[in-house]
Amino acid sequence: MQPVNLFDLASQQARWLSVRQSAIAGNVANANTPGYAAMDVEPFEKVLKNTSVAMSATHSGHILASTSPARMTVETEQDGVAILPSKNSVSLEDQMLKAGEVGRSFELNTSIVKSFHRMFLMTAKP
Amino acid sequence: MDSLTTALKVAASGLEAQSQRVRVVSENLANAQSTGNTPGAEPYQRKTITFAAALDRASGGSFAEVAEISRDKSAYPLEFHPGHEAADANGMVRMPNVNMLVEMADMREANRSYEANLQVVKQARDLISMTIDLMRSQ
Repeated sequence: MQPVNLFDLASQQARWLSVRQSAIAGNVANANTPGYAAMDVEPFEKVLKNTSVAMSATHSGHILASTSPARMTVETEQDGVAILPSKNSVSLEDQMLKAGEVGRSFELNTSIVKSFHRMFLMTAKP
Repeated sequence: MDSLTTALKVAASGLEAQSQRVRVVSENLANAQSTGNTPGAEPYQRKTITFAAALDRASGGSFAEVAEISRDKSAYPLEFHPGHEAADANGMVRMPNVNMLVEMADMREANRSYEANLQVVKQARDLISMTIDLMRSQ
């Protein structure tokens, strides 16, 4: 049987979604700030690709390699909409759309974890 | 601080900035007729507000804050009120440089941005409670 890494994957996606939510919050909060450029997180596929296998320390002489999970970089949004004369590129409608997307994905994510957990418990039941 | 808490705090900073803006608008509207009381005196000068983004290095969130509340330097309109105590030799009174239409538009925009920030707060709260629900026994 393959080792189950769904929980790890799910928690990584949940983390990515919450980073995205905080990027959206920053954009909405600065919707009227002159010169502010809208930000977004890099796509989830890219985050998964950057995840390297972490080495575990099995001997007291081992130096623990950085085991921190993959960094999620927040960059300025590329698909820029019309920029206002104040050099602000935030579109509130766009951000609301993205927030809805994040909410739906998060709901899907937690539901999958829930049902997987239930299946997991089923195998443990006598 | 996790990202969802950061999202909540950032949205709260947006709410704070927009409510400051509404305050400035209400000050302008309340003083739209505030003239001086000596001949040729300066009337109320319209206030303006600007925002700035402040990046918090610890959490990575970009908070919105009020950069400056300054004064509108545009010219005062003159109105003919010969009996007014602030009237000059020609009977002209300098009125505040407040334009109702501009203030209303400003208020609408502040309202819209405030609502958007509230929506983000609601959503972040929903996400947090969805996560907590994972611990609930099915």
